[in-house]
Amino acid sequence: MAEAMRIEDYLAEGGVLTSPDNVPARYRGELMRLMASFVDSELAGAAGFAERINDAPGITARIAAARIVAEKTGHAGRVLEIMGEFGADTARYATRHPWAARVARDADLGQVRAGADMRLSVFHYPLTGWVDAVAMNVLMGLATEVQLLELSRVSYAPLAETFREIAPVEARHAALGLEGLRQIVATPSGRAKAQAALSYWWPKVAETFGRAGSERFGMLERLGLRHRPNETLLADWKAAAEAALGGLGLRIGGR
Amino acid sequence: MARFYPLTVTDLRHDTRDAVVVTLAPREADRAAFHFLQGQYLTFRRAFDGEELRRSYSICSGLDDGTLRVGIKRVEGGAFSTWANEELAVGAVLEAMPPMGRFHAPIEPSQARHCLGFAGGSGITPVLSIIRTVLAREPKSRFTLVYANRQISSIMFREELEDLKNLHLGRLSILHVLETEAQEIELFTGLVDAAKMEALFRSWIDPGSVDMAFICGPEPMMLAIAKSLRAHGIADDRIKFELFASGQPGRAKQKAVSVTAAASAHATEATVTLDGTARTFRIEKEGPSLLEAALAHQIDAPYACKAGVCSTCRARVTEGEVEMAVNHALEDYEVRQGYVLTCQSRPLTDRVALSYDE
Repeated sequence: MAEAMRIEDYLAEGGVLTSPDNVPARYRGELMRLMASFVDSELAGAAGFAERINDAPGITARIAAARIVAEKTGHAGRVLEIMGEFGADTARYATRHPWAARVARDADLGQVRAGADMRLSVFHYPLTGWVDAVAMNVLMGLATEVQLLELSRVSYAPLAETFREIAPVEARHAALGLEGLRQIVATPSGRAKAQAALSYWWPKVAETFGRAGSERFGMLERLGLRHRPNETLLADWKAAAEAALGGLGLRIGGR
Repeated sequence: MARFYPLTVTDLRHDTRDAVVVTLAPREADRAAFHFLQGQYLTFRRAFDGEELRRSYSICSGLDDGTLRVGIKRVEGGAFSTWANEELAVGAVLEAMPPMGRFHAPIEPSQARHCLGFAGGSGITPVLSIIRTVLAREPKSRFTLVYANRQISSIMFREELEDLKNLHLGRLSILHVLETEAQEIELFTGLVDAAKMEALFRSWIDPGSVDMAFICGPEPMMLAIAKSLRAHGIADDRIKFELFASGQPGRAKQKAVSVTAAASAHATEATVTLDGTARTFRIEKEGPSLLEAALAHQIDAPYACKAGVCSTCRARVTEGEVEMAVNHALEDYEVRQGYVLTCQSRPLTDRVALSYDE
């Protein structure tokens, strides 16, 4: 057997926790905050996208959009279930906020979380139509891939496992979006619309990565809840988005 | 919300000097609630001196055993484990929540897999459940167990493991590593640390053959094993962890009894501790919640729903009294220990102190 070890040292060395019983109070608070942010973003994202299903051109696109809504809602449910193991009232939580509510299209929230839920600020902006929804889904889908790669390493093992299972499905959402975008840019008017939508969403998705040099990062890193800083994740997303969209001849990043 | 069911003790066996194996039976009507997956645990509750304690113990039965058994090792100063080892008897009724936990991997009957388990001391209990289930339900799979203990006399389930080895000839190998007793092969003496893992992988276990790994033990052992598995190419999605109970305090602390004078003024002096730093500020009794007040004073308190539903903003009141408007997340026993949802809390006394660190 082995000597006793402080849970803080264990986490700092890369240890994992496995049940609500062995989670310290501060860790619990930050873990719950992280999970709530994911759940609220998935619920708000799905609720916003749901309204655009009716804009989808054709059966295949409608099915793809409906499936994205169903799967994102399901992912929220899986993480909410883990919050429930810590005491959260999951039934009340899921219906607590008007997840489809949005601010004005030209509002500027920056990185601040607005309103009474923890959704990422990007999910407060309204989608204006099919092309807009596809453009947002591509940029945010690629951002989610980068974020889930990071979150799949969190030190709470049940959550890390759930994120690892969710990640490939979310990656498929981004791929479906890229396929939709490929069809949209086939016509000059579609290409112009897509370009405008990407320019609108680019800075807003970039904001979801948070501030460079965040003071919270050090604390979260010690708890094993974060591993790579915001600016590194942002750079990964930019590279992935530029590679994907550049292939379609689209300009991004305000260039 | 958590629900407890009565379980009757139908058998009780002292396995080692300080470990007991308890067989439990739910009521007929509750049987479905106690269907479990290999590697899961039960959470029990019992009052000691009027104060409720909750403790989790892993199920050691396999899925096809037809029994519900848990192993309880006595922890130094542990109220529940000492009681279970010294006073619990056949016929007694325990209260437990349905099985929980995710220390398991899907069973695939057609697969011929090599599973590798590491157990430290009483960490054997969920691993035994997994071993019994894998051997029974995956007839082509094999299991290697590395089992760390202080000495021979403290090895839990020693005979049962030997019986399993004989029953499933050639499919279960067990490497006992003993901390304080010399063995013929030096490799099997000492701690399961980085050096030991290297030696095991060099001469006893081919890491390339391992499909799934399960680790249950104390913190340093979990760290050393996980690092070594990763270094030998076994990715995180093939490693299952169960950290055992060292994080559980021996005894729940009673809520501090307030000596503050009764409420008088409209304002309260509130002290909030976060990450070891205490900050004091004044707050209107009828004003915003303690969470809002803390946030307004640039205290980075955790929160999410602000509706008394999610429990992210949970803190412990260490002085004075507060009142919650709504509580959908904390259970009565947590409230009795002084926990509150700060998003729903307003002070009742002229001084309150609360901590997000406890």
